[in-house]
Order: sequence, then structure tokens, then C-alpha cells
Amino acid sequence: MRSEKNIGTILLFLFPALAGLVLFKLYPILSGFVQSLYTTTFITGGRSFVGLQNYISLFTDPVFWNSLKVTLLFNVIINPLQILLAFFLALLLNAKIKRIAWFRSVHFVPVAISVPTACMLWNIMLSPEQGVVNSILAALGLPQQPFLGSSSQALGSIIAIASWKGVGYWALFLLAGLQEVPTSLLEASSLDGASRWKQMIHIVYPMLKRPLTFVVVSVTTANFLLFSPMYILTKGGPENSTDVLMFESFNNAFLYSDLGRSSSIVVTLLLITLTIVAFQFRWLKTSH
Amino acid sequence: MNVIRLFRSSLPIYVIHLVLALIVLLPLAFALVSSFRPLDEIYKYMSPVTWKTFWPTQFTLEAYRSLFTERGFGQIFLNTFFIGITTVLGGLLLGSMAAFAFVYLEFRGKSALFLLVLVTFMIPFEVISIPLYSLVNKLGWIDSYAGIIVPGVVNGLVIFLFRQFFLELPYSLVESARIDGASWLRVYAGIVMPMCKPVTVSASLLIFIQQWESFMWPLIATRSKQYKVIQVALSDFITEYGTYWNEMFAAAMLSVVIPVMLLIPLQRYYVQGIANTGSKE
Repeated sequence: MRSEKNIGTILLFLFPALAGLVLFKLYPILSGFVQSLYTTTFITGGRSFVGLQNYISLFTDPVFWNSLKVTLLFNVIINPLQILLAFFLALLLNAKIKRIAWFRSVHFVPVAISVPTACMLWNIMLSPEQGVVNSILAALGLPQQPFLGSSSQALGSIIAIASWKGVGYWALFLLAGLQEVPTSLLEASSLDGASRWKQMIHIVYPMLKRPLTFVVVSVTTANFLLFSPMYILTKGGPENSTDVLMFESFNNAFLYSDLGRSSSIVVTLLLITLTIVAFQFRWLKTSH
Repeated sequence: MNVIRLFRSSLPIYVIHLVLALIVLLPLAFALVSSFRPLDEIYKYMSPVTWKTFWPTQFTLEAYRSLFTERGFGQIFLNTFFIGITTVLGGLLLGSMAAFAFVYLEFRGKSALFLLVLVTFMIPFEVISIPLYSLVNKLGWIDSYAGIIVPGVVNGLVIFLFRQFFLELPYSLVESARIDGASWLRVYAGIVMPMCKPVTVSASLLIFIQQWESFMWPLIATRSKQYKVIQVALSDFITEYGTYWNEMFAAAMLSVVIPVMLLIPLQRYYVQGIANTGSKE
């Protein structure tokens, strides 16, 4: 088998897939980077090389800085929040009670709901005048809230919606990890007098490391690039409070036809995301 | 392991679970109920909250009927199914063949090429959508089925899933077939693939759900009604038909029901499939 020299066979099996990946994944990434070094000239319809000019103009633009600030604020809150909630949910779903499989299925339901549908549903639920949430608040004697309509609550509302959709999904991977922790090990250690906290750090956490790494990295990349809630629900408003970088990039490309600027935003965003993911990998590898 | 032995009985856990389940299901339950209400009753019982807030007093299928007769949801459904199923078939074939080559064939630069595959499944459509748009435009595929389907067919994650599965299969089966003179194509189609049911299920789910839920790419890649898919149709509801609340709820239910029907019974495969991706490097 080692002496397989049939180039034809190899090409037949490999070429279609590789061609697809190169053409529709790698080429666009590279061409996006190249695009970010050019500017569109409207008179000729062509483009001209401007080097780092797009980046320089980005970094001197308050709109970009606001959008960067919103992106970072959003991620600093949503990522740890979702990971913690997913962990606690996984613990709850790991409880040995009857009908637990039903509850597991319930949390899997939002996986089947797309982001646009989730946005649409919650948009109505959170509506200031007719929303169920405000009716419930009123019934409980609490003050009504503007939610997505207020610049101080819009980002928080989007965080809540995205977490409603995402946490159950991430919890399932952690649950799969929890189920691999051998019960005997925990029983033995509690006989030795180990506290619950110690068990968590020394037994559960190391076993959970693989699914946890997956969840941390996936949550981070997903949230840094999250854009449809802002597009569907708030259009970046009110008062630019939900104007994340990905939304800015989309606007620049498809609203203002400034592909160079749009690409330079994406490249910047990717560099930020990659840096953070690299740190997460290192941190998860070295701790313990 | 019962981490929740903090509680003496399981009653508090049930209570927590019930509250969480209510939070998760509330918007869906509300949408389902509202989709059966006539339009003028949608917000009638909203405040103050009574049992009528959560139960339709006048049950009607008007909203669903209108979606199919007036808003062209028949076409939208057909489009989404067609795109999903074509992508699944293409993706399974190309993905499994590439994985087969990575596991069973020997060639130079294999690890480098495989690394390339790994890199691609970390690139989401959102990030490359703008240059991808220029490319697909040059190919003349904007506003066509090909424009939505072809870029999504090859999926690095699917190649990876199949490869992980092939590595687990007994190699002796392949070896003896080769000694008997079977061609690689025959080994692939006659021996390896028939053993691949679990991974085929999880890969199909993954691809289908991805296409069913994709929003940004179809939004950019198509313009005419003829190619509209369900997620784009839903977002139109928010901006264009804001007053037809009952239809909006019905449309949301329709977009949810297909993936729920696929995912709930097959959730084990879906999670296992993806959870496997981390297990071997």
C-alpha cells in the first residue's frame, strides 16, 4: 500500500474537495487581505493601491474606535458569561434525576433555531408596548423596560438573546466531558476528605479540558464575528451602542461600497480574534 | 457523577430545571400559540397577563394558509430544501472522498494539505463573504442556486469528521480487498462507505442545518424572489410586513420545525460528531 503511485486515483479523490476549499475559503481570505490595501476609484470603477492607507484612516476615525469599543465590551461580557452559564447548565444536566433526558432535549431546542428566528422572536417578546416580558414585569409590579430601544440596554439585550440561543449548545459539549469523569475517582477523593472545590479543580477540570478548550475557542470566534442580531434588531443603534466591527464592515461593503475599508476592518477583527484565541490556547495548555 | 449533591433531595433540581425549561421554551410557545390566533387578537390579551395571554381563544390556521398562498412560502421552502439537500449530497461525497485519500492513500505533502483543511473550517462565511461575493460575481453565479450551493459544498469540518471515523475502522478489511485486486474506488464505495452510517448522519445534519440556518450569504448572493430562502424571508418580515404578526409567528414556527424534527431524535449523533473533532489531533 505504501507504494501507491497512482496519481490519477489521488487526484480523483482529493482534487474536487481541495479545489473547493482553495477557491471558496483560502482565496477569499487572501483576496480580502489584498483588497484592504486598495481603494475603489469611483470614476474609473477600478481600484488603486494605497498600501496601509485604509488602516491609517481607520485608526484616525472615531466611528471605528467606537465600533471597536462596542465589539470589545460585547465580547468581554458575553464570552465569560456564556462559558460560565454553559458550565453550570452542564452540571445541572448531569444530575442523576428521572427524566433528565427531557431537560437535555429542551436545551437542545435553541440549537435548531437560527439566529434570525431567535432575533425575530425575542424582538417581539421584548417589545416595549406589546411584549410578553414587559407584561410579565407589569404583572409582577416591576417597571417596564425599553430593552432594544435604549442605548443602555440594547447591547445587554442582544447578549441575553445570543446566550439564550447559545448556552444550551455549549453546555452539551461540557456535559459530554462531565460524563467521562469516573464516579469512582470522585467517591474515593471525597472519602479522603477532598472538598467539592478541590474535586472541581483537581479531578473535574483536567477531564473537562478538551471540551472546555473547544467551547472557549468556539464561543470566542462565534461572538467576535456575530453580526446578524445587530443587523436584524438594531442596525447598530440606538446611538451606535450595538455597532460592532463586523456590522461596520458589512455596512462599508454593501451600503457605502467601500470594499477597501470594509476589508481592512475584517482583517483587523480577525487579527484581534486570532490573538485572543492564541492566548486562550496557551492559557488552557499551561494551567495545570 | 452527581455534582448537585449540594441539595438533599432532587426536588430543588427539578424546580431549577423547570424554570430554565420555561425560559428556553417561552418564546417558542408564545410564537406557536400566536401563530394560531387571528390577526386582530394577537395583542388583545397581552396585558394584564391572564391564561388568555398564553392560549388562543379563537383557533385559526389563517396565518399558515396565507404564508403559502400570498407570501410564496411554498417556493421558499422548496428552495431551502433543494439547497440543503444538494449541499448535503455534494458535501458528503466530496468530503468523504477527500478524507479517504487522507487516510488510505500515500502521497507527498499529505500533512501540509491536511493542515490546510483544518485551517479552512475555522473561517466562517461572514468573514470571507465580501471577497467571496466578488469571486462568485465573476463566475456569474450571483442570484442563482449555484451561488448559494457551490461555495458551501466543501466543508473542512466534514472532511475532518470522516477522517476521524476512517481511522477507527479496521484496516485489515481494506488491505485484504486490495490484495484481492479491488480498485480504490471499489474499496471506497463497496467497503468503507457502507460502514460509515453514524458519521454520515452527523455530517449530513451538520451540513443541512448550516444551510438551513445560513442568512448572511444567501442575503448577499441572491436578489430575486425566485431564490429566496427561509432565513432571508424571515428577516424580511421584520422590516417589510411588520403588521402581519400572526404570519410572522407562523413563519418562525415553520423555520424551526424542520431542524427540531431532525435534531431532537438525532441529537446524540450531532453532539458526538462534533465532540469527536477534539479527540484526536
